[in-house]
Amino acid sequence: MATTFVLVLVVIMGFAFDFTNGFHDTANAMATSIATGALKPKVAVGISAVLNFAGAFISISVAATIAKGIVNPDVLVGGDALDLVLAALIGAMTWNLITWYFTIPSSSSHALIGGIIGATIVATSSGEIDWHDLVQSVIIPALLSPFIAGGVAALGVYCAYRLIRRLGQKEARTGYRYGQVFSASLVSLAHGTNDAQKTMGVISLALIAHGDISATNFSVPLWVKLGCALSISLGTASGGWRIINTMGNRITNIESPQGFAAESASAAVILASSYYGYPLSTTQVVSGGVLGAGLGKARNSVHWGVIGQMVSAWIVTMPGAGALGGIAWAISNIFSPNLGAAVIVALAAAGAFGLWTLAQRNKITASDLDRTNVSVVDEAERSGVPPAIATT
Amino acid sequence: MTILAAASTPLIDWSALWRIALAALIGGAGIVILFGFLLYGVKVANQAKSEGHEGRRIGAYFVSGVCGAICVALVVVGIYAMAHKPKSKPTPPPKSAAVYKPAASRTELVASLP
Repeated sequence: MATTFVLVLVVIMGFAFDFTNGFHDTANAMATSIATGALKPKVAVGISAVLNFAGAFISISVAATIAKGIVNPDVLVGGDALDLVLAALIGAMTWNLITWYFTIPSSSSHALIGGIIGATIVATSSGEIDWHDLVQSVIIPALLSPFIAGGVAALGVYCAYRLIRRLGQKEARTGYRYGQVFSASLVSLAHGTNDAQKTMGVISLALIAHGDISATNFSVPLWVKLGCALSISLGTASGGWRIINTMGNRITNIESPQGFAAESASAAVILASSYYGYPLSTTQVVSGGVLGAGLGKARNSVHWGVIGQMVSAWIVTMPGAGALGGIAWAISNIFSPNLGAAVIVALAAAGAFGLWTLAQRNKITASDLDRTNVSVVDEAERSGVPPAIATT
Repeated sequence: MTILAAASTPLIDWSALWRIALAALIGGAGIVILFGFLLYGVKVANQAKSEGHEGRRIGAYFVSGVCGAICVALVVVGIYAMAHKPKSKPTPPPKSAAVYKPAASRTELVASLP
């Protein structure tokens, strides 16, 4: 009875984490399309929401656990593991909300890994973590991927602007605006494929631990797939305007050829890495792509202060989410299993409501970001003038 | 994993890294360049049409069509890669847990899952 109640909370928090993942990562796919006026903000997030939902069903292989190979698998099964998974999800979700409040794009995947690691260390010991595999499979790829995406985007932008001289400003920018719709859609699809399945895997393991899924004939229940897909889709549709503003407007003054190059480079890096067994953070790859696209046109067009904030957030994401996951587990362990789980969920809900309330003071809406009324000529003349949309 | 075993395993899989970089270069920068040529071909074709050069118009549309087809092919390859992700690297054998004592079948299942 105790574990059934905790299982229900794990499922709810899993869906809640996917919801925050959705609005946190909408910017990855659609920020540049919104910033260049290729799409209206609400149309962009609507397309992204549909594609995230579809992407969740594309791949038939499910990542059984995002921490596979990093955390001792013995730790993630068994009745007590439900408390650990719940604490990890709360840590990851809370970190997502904190970085959303501060308008900083950060990796939901790394937040989830950090939450699991932090909760595991507090619940057992650091000996249950394969630190070498963590560095090899997560940290090294995370360090290299933004540079690869940035380099590819910079090269693409350099070549695109050489072509624009022959093509003409208006025709080129109009054409690349159309192209952005497709490149951004591909990133949305890839995001749905990768990220929804991580939570499917976490919830499925919880069901295995509770004995609801056969240990010998493993398959993800349809309701889990639908729930995760719907959660990430609804989160995407809610907008995440604060992070879209950062990604699309505050890194560099992006134009449609740059947006197309950034999204194409990012999609290529994400899909290639995933295919060769190195799932990456969509956020970090796209940020690297946008940075590279900015540098490809003019080195002084990048706002390095914003880049510094983002990199700082990336460095502290795993330790930060880990600390929150560890704290959540420690608090839940003070009480009886049912009560402890209920307490940390209540605290997480209160924290989420508090952050949402604070965010209303500096609210960013879809209408603040709408650039579809900006002509392609005006877009060219915007270079060098940073848009001023107030954020915290 | 022991310290010696960990130290002997390279941190960077250079083989995978160059494949990823190459795929990103072709799929990322390549599609941007091809799309640019697609737009340029359409522009040249429109100019040729207004000047009455039929052969040049057909040639320009042909180039645009080929570039567009390659762009679409790259997108299809990307979606194929999404749908057919190979299994991830095998998990190392589970260590004995100090706290948790799960059933052996569940441990084996987790270790064998992709």
